[in-house]
Amino acid sequence: MNLDIVLIIVVMALVTYGARALPFLLFRNKDMGGFLKSFVELVPVALLAALVIPEFFIAADNRISLINPYLLAGVSTFLFARKLPNLFACVLFGMIAYWCFDKIL
Amino acid sequence: MQKGLLYGLKQSIPIGIGYAPVALTFGILAIQNGLTVWECGLMSMLVFAGASQFIAIQLLGQGATAWVIGFTTLIVNLRHIVMSFSMLRFFPKVGLGKLAIIAYGITDESFVLSSNLLQEISTPEERSKVAIGINSGAYLSWVLFSFVGAYIGNRLVINFSGFDFALLALFIVLTVSTVTKDNLPVYILAGLLAVVLKLLLPGKWYLLISVIAAAAVGSLFKKKKANTLGEERSYES
Repeated sequence: MNLDIVLIIVVMALVTYGARALPFLLFRNKDMGGFLKSFVELVPVALLAALVIPEFFIAADNRISLINPYLLAGVSTFLFARKLPNLFACVLFGMIAYWCFDKIL
Repeated sequence: MQKGLLYGLKQSIPIGIGYAPVALTFGILAIQNGLTVWECGLMSMLVFAGASQFIAIQLLGQGATAWVIGFTTLIVNLRHIVMSFSMLRFFPKVGLGKLAIIAYGITDESFVLSSNLLQEISTPEERSKVAIGINSGAYLSWVLFSFVGAYIGNRLVINFSGFDFALLALFIVLTVSTVTKDNLPVYILAGLLAVVLKLLLPGKWYLLISVIAAAAVGSLFKKKKANTLGEERSYES
């Protein structure tokens, strides 16, 4: 292994782990109330939206797209998940749905 | 029955499936950008953060310095601060050793899955075990398939595009069980912001900014609502 590359990897690992561990170190066993409490509770739902919605409407060339396999498979998976909220079954269904729409479009 | 490591591992299977093609691609690109199989594997083992790893091998290929790559990695991974900050609420009184292990495995995917599943689990000890299980499953898939990609990547032809959708499908299922009437406005706001910001800003900035903004606005409104309710009550009394 090239030492320079190992050094780069170690630096990357340190800053990434730092970002992951710092809040645990600083705020462990501290009571969070009011604003902070509802803020941290809303982070997961906000992140879900931020991860999903752009994928539905923005194509790979960074343009708005309203008919694409991601959106169609996404809506199908959403409806399927409401009927059968099983993680594994839904992921499998979504993958097959996407594959079909990708073939058709 | 107590839920523990095994339960977490089992629940992490969809993440593992979603990571596999991404890690394979990473392995292939790492070799193309001049890394060895072991350097590629080492990066996946120590960093375990997809987007920043892709950017790093690209920068490495262009001959960037450790400082530039380190700084870029920090910027791309800043959002992990918000995620681990949010996860803390599940682990009151859990020891620093366990927290250190949990922190190592926080990714977008493991975070949203954990946030969803840990709500149903009553004790912090159990939650920490399940979280470690989820993170381990995701980690094993990422590391294993990075090696596979680096080792045999170019000889591998996968003709099933469905893998591209695995992680998104996971997020959609979690959406169904996470979004309620109360937090729907935050979901919509974050989604709208993310679309606009992704069109305008480079890299992953859209994630960090839209999440912080939407969660902040949401909790401001909640506080305001709670205050008015409180005032009404104090008038009554």
